[in-house]
Amino acid sequence: MARIVGVEIPGEKRIDIALRYIYGIGPSNAKVILAKAQIDPALRAKDLNEQQLSQIVHAIQDGKYIIEGDLRRELGMNLKRLQGIKCYRGIRHLRGLPVRGQRTSTNARTRKGPRKTVGVQRNPNAKTGIH
Amino acid sequence: MGRSIKKGPFVDQHLQVKIDAAKAAKSKTPIKTWSRRSMITPDFVGLTFNVHNGKIFNPVFVTENMVGHRLGEFSLTRTFKKHGAHTAKAEAK
Repeated sequence: MARIVGVEIPGEKRIDIALRYIYGIGPSNAKVILAKAQIDPALRAKDLNEQQLSQIVHAIQDGKYIIEGDLRRELGMNLKRLQGIKCYRGIRHLRGLPVRGQRTSTNARTRKGPRKTVGVQRNPNAKTGIH
Repeated sequence: MGRSIKKGPFVDQHLQVKIDAAKAAKSKTPIKTWSRRSMITPDFVGLTFNVHNGKIFNPVFVTENMVGHRLGEFSLTRTFKKHGAHTAKAEAK
């Protein structure tokens, strides 16, 4: 168990894999960070000493990677901007439908979620003739 | 592939003429346009456009956030259809 940049606790894995547990760091970023910190990627995360850990943290911070909360916030802001200006993409996000022009007559289940069958909802005013 | 930067953003010539006139006259009357493909540039900000959607003209007030989008993105061409009765009670859910 080791802590890198706050809350991250990668386990008994190779350090290049463990770094990918940080939100915003993937395979290629992990490789670059380790090369910059001059650490063998085959080392296990638990075998790193304090100095090596701080080297990694420095490499991450100097590299200006946007990670964790900042990244999540940035993505949220992007969505909020699209929704705030009421453009087509923003509206599709609001309605939970595909944004990039895919068909919705069938499929699109990733965006729409599990199928929900809607029965007939009668208009209570139908009998009175009000619409 | 994106548009070459050298050319700059695309704005229909006939629309640009109207915008320049409105800017010069400082008029706030909506500019009626069919040019949905025109990109919103910083000189559009603060103006109102009536953008055609194939049937009617939707009013679009341009703010700073909209720069870089196209006018058509703000005037939807399709009616959003839902199932069921649209009563006030159902809408509130």
